[in-house]
Amino acid sequence: MIRSSKRSPLVYLTHATVLFLVIIWTIPTAGLFISSLRDKDQLAVSGWWTALSTSTHMEVDRAEPPSNQVQESDHFVIKGNILHGKSGKISKFGYSSLHPQAYKAGEVAQIRNGQTLQVMPNGDYVLSSPTQWRGRNGKRIFYTAEIPPHFTLNNYKVVLGADGLGQSFINSLTVTIPATVIPILIAAFAAYALAWMRFPGRAILVASVVGLLVVPLQMSLIPLLKSYNWIGDLFGVSSKTYVGIWLAHTGFGLPLAIYLLRNYIVGLPSEIIESARVDGASDFDIFRKIILPLSFPALASFAIFQFLWVWNDLLVAMVFLGTSPDHMVLTGQLRQLMGSLGGNWGILTASAFITIIIPLCVFFGLQRFLVRGLLAGSVK
Amino acid sequence: MEQLASALVYMVIGVSVCAFYFYGSNFLLDKLFPTKNRAVTIVARNLRITTRIRPWLFLGPAIIFLTFYLFYPVVDSIILSFYGRAGKEFVGLSNYSWLFSNDEFLESFRNNMMWLVVVPTSATFLGLVIASMTDRIWWGNIAKTLIFMPMAISFVGASVIWKFIYDYQSAGNTQIGLLNAIVVFFGGEPQNWISMPFWNNFFLMVILIWIQTGFAMVILSAALRGIPDETIEAAVLDGANGIQIFFKIMVPQIWGTIAVVWTTITILVLKVFDIVLAMTNGQWNTQVLANQMFTWMFRGGGDFGRGAVIALVIMVLVTPIMIWNIRRANQEMEGR
Amino acid sequence: MKKSLLAAALALSFSAHSVFAQDLIFPPGKDTRFNWSSYDALKSEHLQGKKITVFGPWTGDEKTRFENVIAYFEAATGADVVYDGSDSFEQQIVIDTQGGSAPNVSIFPQPGLASDLAAKGYLTPLSEKAKEGVLKDYAAGKSWVKLATFKGPHHKDHFYGVFYRADLKSLVWYSPDNFADAGYQVPKTMEQLKALTKQIVADGGTPWCIGLGSGAATGWPATDWVEDLLLRMQPPSVYDGWVTNKVKFNDPRIVDAIKEFGWFARNNKFVYGGTSAVGTTDFRDSPKGLFTSPPQCYMVKQASFVTAFFPKDVEVGVDADFFYFPPFASKKDLGRPVEGAGTLATITKDSKGAHDFVNFLRSPIAHEIWMAQGGFLSPDLKANPAVYSNDIERREGKILLDATTFRFDASDLMPGRIGAGAFWTGMVNYINGEPAKDVANDIQKTWDALKKN
Repeated sequence: MIRSSKRSPLVYLTHATVLFLVIIWTIPTAGLFISSLRDKDQLAVSGWWTALSTSTHMEVDRAEPPSNQVQESDHFVIKGNILHGKSGKISKFGYSSLHPQAYKAGEVAQIRNGQTLQVMPNGDYVLSSPTQWRGRNGKRIFYTAEIPPHFTLNNYKVVLGADGLGQSFINSLTVTIPATVIPILIAAFAAYALAWMRFPGRAILVASVVGLLVVPLQMSLIPLLKSYNWIGDLFGVSSKTYVGIWLAHTGFGLPLAIYLLRNYIVGLPSEIIESARVDGASDFDIFRKIILPLSFPALASFAIFQFLWVWNDLLVAMVFLGTSPDHMVLTGQLRQLMGSLGGNWGILTASAFITIIIPLCVFFGLQRFLVRGLLAGSVK
Repeated sequence: MEQLASALVYMVIGVSVCAFYFYGSNFLLDKLFPTKNRAVTIVARNLRITTRIRPWLFLGPAIIFLTFYLFYPVVDSIILSFYGRAGKEFVGLSNYSWLFSNDEFLESFRNNMMWLVVVPTSATFLGLVIASMTDRIWWGNIAKTLIFMPMAISFVGASVIWKFIYDYQSAGNTQIGLLNAIVVFFGGEPQNWISMPFWNNFFLMVILIWIQTGFAMVILSAALRGIPDETIEAAVLDGANGIQIFFKIMVPQIWGTIAVVWTTITILVLKVFDIVLAMTNGQWNTQVLANQMFTWMFRGGGDFGRGAVIALVIMVLVTPIMIWNIRRANQEMEGR
Repeated sequence: MKKSLLAAALALSFSAHSVFAQDLIFPPGKDTRFNWSSYDALKSEHLQGKKITVFGPWTGDEKTRFENVIAYFEAATGADVVYDGSDSFEQQIVIDTQGGSAPNVSIFPQPGLASDLAAKGYLTPLSEKAKEGVLKDYAAGKSWVKLATFKGPHHKDHFYGVFYRADLKSLVWYSPDNFADAGYQVPKTMEQLKALTKQIVADGGTPWCIGLGSGAATGWPATDWVEDLLLRMQPPSVYDGWVTNKVKFNDPRIVDAIKEFGWFARNNKFVYGGTSAVGTTDFRDSPKGLFTSPPQCYMVKQASFVTAFFPKDVEVGVDADFFYFPPFASKKDLGRPVEGAGTLATITKDSKGAHDFVNFLRSPIAHEIWMAQGGFLSPDLKANPAVYSNDIERREGKILLDATTFRFDASDLMPGRIGAGAFWTGMVNYINGEPAKDVANDIQKTWDALKKN
């Protein structure tokens, strides 16, 4: 864009700065992504960055239960592999929680009464005793091992395999697409009127739009639900319908849409509009033939945000659409998976990534409309 | 699949109804009051009528929506703010007097002021810097997508990942929070960021800045691309360097958009509660107005009167921004 | 425009799902441990095609289990019961009742919230027959009835709900292997528990994992500690007075209980990560410390539901076990108090089906079907303990039924702004170093402000 500075150090500085910011911005997301590929029990025990390289873990696991013992000459022996076939290299082991690193791998630990435990670096262990092993549960073996990075798709399998996920995905799309398109259409007309048409009360309307921007959504829920129920009763239809939620999202998204679009449209060069007016074009023609095509970048950017908000919304969907299977949205379905007390971070992280995919596609898809060519070409 | 099909049909119908309204009403207006091929006096009269009516055709649906979905609930809330928790007995101004003697309200008000100063400014500034820089490098679109990504993450997802950044374990234990792991790596003492007095507010703000920079970037980037090539080329010919072009040419050109972005984020900050709710729910003196409002409205059985009072305070806070925006709008409109 | 949109709305609001007989997970009449007579009795209710909506806090697995219970009601009566669960039940029910979209039956996780909505007139009182049923069938029936009796919109007491599913709070979880390795005995008195705590520190270990973190509900685990300790330090009448604020929050007896909690939690050596980590550690993460190598801590005090947050390879009953949070030997006259909690089924939109469904929820079979699936404790004396899915739950159920003093979680009974607000904040501040007295004063101040409304 700025050709003159191509070879100046500024270019390198630009690259470096952007790279730096991108890294800072991506680290949390990367953490989320890596966490979603980890075992959920590990999440609370070690930092996600440790999953990237071979690291030392202290683990505890149970040996085979005494019911699996075999008699070898005069000893009773229990054998197995404590790593259960996973890769890793054991350096130390122990049989008591008080001294989990008491022995080096390969050593023979004397437990008591002639009982011994030997753990090899590859995880093979031998428990040996002159008398029969008793009890129902296997003996605990504590070990310290170098464990290479281990990732699992289990979290994703759980989320993607959940009942009703496909249905809720379709439901979400059903909610989101009209709830994105309708407000844009309505707002574009309103924005044009507020930017280029002359009529009494315009200043008040502009002010109201800014004022209504700040109305907290939560404040509207109960009065609106009352009205919805009233209208529903009046016409004998359910108050929880897709049309209802489209209109609700349209209402909530409209102030920002009008505000953003008005700002953009008001900045369009007045010469074009004036000359069109002189040519006798009506405001409707001007809007359709000139304003709409020129406003593509603004329309696209608002579309991205409205899509995002509606897609990630749970509150409005719960209130105006409910949770029956043919109405449950994706965010609601995923919340259901986490269970009553939440805290299943494996599912949480995986579902965060599954929900992110569609908005990112929308962003990619609309990004090419955020170009300057449309406008630059038409000026002068 | 069947649902998707029927959904598609309704989408098309819904959107067509909208489009049809605008087309139809304008068509009707032009038919009823033709402004072409008629006597001059009639044309002049009709022109007057159409210019008077048409704005309302354009604005009609928007006004209906705004009235029903936002204005009416506001009026409803104002009325409710004079009623007790069951919404039945009139309590006069007691909800208001309660609010201003409430310590928690003063705390959230103070915190909100800090949020208002820090978040919109930082997010707008960072968004502007990133928008202008990414336009000049070949991998700009990739960079933009990565910066944009936090916007697409749900608040629940965001709160989990920031938990893994701010997590605290005391010295000597394994840190599972990234920030403390870095501090410990450089030989420092791990800190409990979330409960650190005063500063914990800023750690929460960082999350919102992280999310909102993407918003600022997208809008500002669209505006930057709206600056005509010729303007910049002229500056380049005059020998201006990159930084001069940025501050002297680009920033003034998109000043209006910067104001819009700043306003939008400011208003969002007034309304934001998800982050505070998910991370601390206002503990450790991190309460903000929106979360306090939410708590009073819906939790513990709900006391809509008191919740509404807080909501009204939030709306009053936006007045200066409103006035400033109206002034700006009037300046833009001069001579039109 | 309006018209065509309405037509679309009509077409889009899909008709109710068809009633199809879900498979009953335990075939009626087969397993004699179940109380099938209470199932057969249901068949006299004829609700063919009647729709009953139920809203509750259970999602995920719990939702599936509850739906398995519902299937029996549907099979016997022909009703169509639709259950919805939400993890933001508390806020959703407020919106739904006030907005006029209330479900027929709502299952409240906190009686305090139900009492609030009852006062606003959103709940329908239950029949005298239901009340007598609970009185007769439930262990300590009187207290369960009292817990579900609230003031209605006209300041008159009514019986509003049936408790279905209980949680047991007074439990300490530990790893029997770790205790065996270190040679520790399960303490029988509070004095022994305190001695054990000191012993573990002397041996170089950390006795407790305590986490108060719970996202938006951060602080609640501490309220359980204080309540359990109060029951062990003062007669139940003090506890009851405290719940209604007849005994002020800053009463020295309450402050002492808070300080007693401080003895455990405000000692850097007693808790893993030190006191400063207590407030921000998530309660769902804290039990994981029992099972690490070496163990991060030896004991976690938490309710019966905590087993859901044990690592997935931990087998309850083998790798983990619980003991009863013991009483003080010096206060023998207080007996063996037990703190619990439970979910309360109420009617938020009246219909015959709703009454029948709530009645079903207090019948033994409704309890047994969930008990057999696991994760359910029943206060119903008629429900057969033999159907519990494992020994741990059977033992927990026995503690519940045998308690000399049973008290409901106080924070669930206090007004929402206290029990789910100021109390939590106060506990977080206490852990952060504020004196117990100041914390109690603050909470009392909030409570006073609440009464003025």
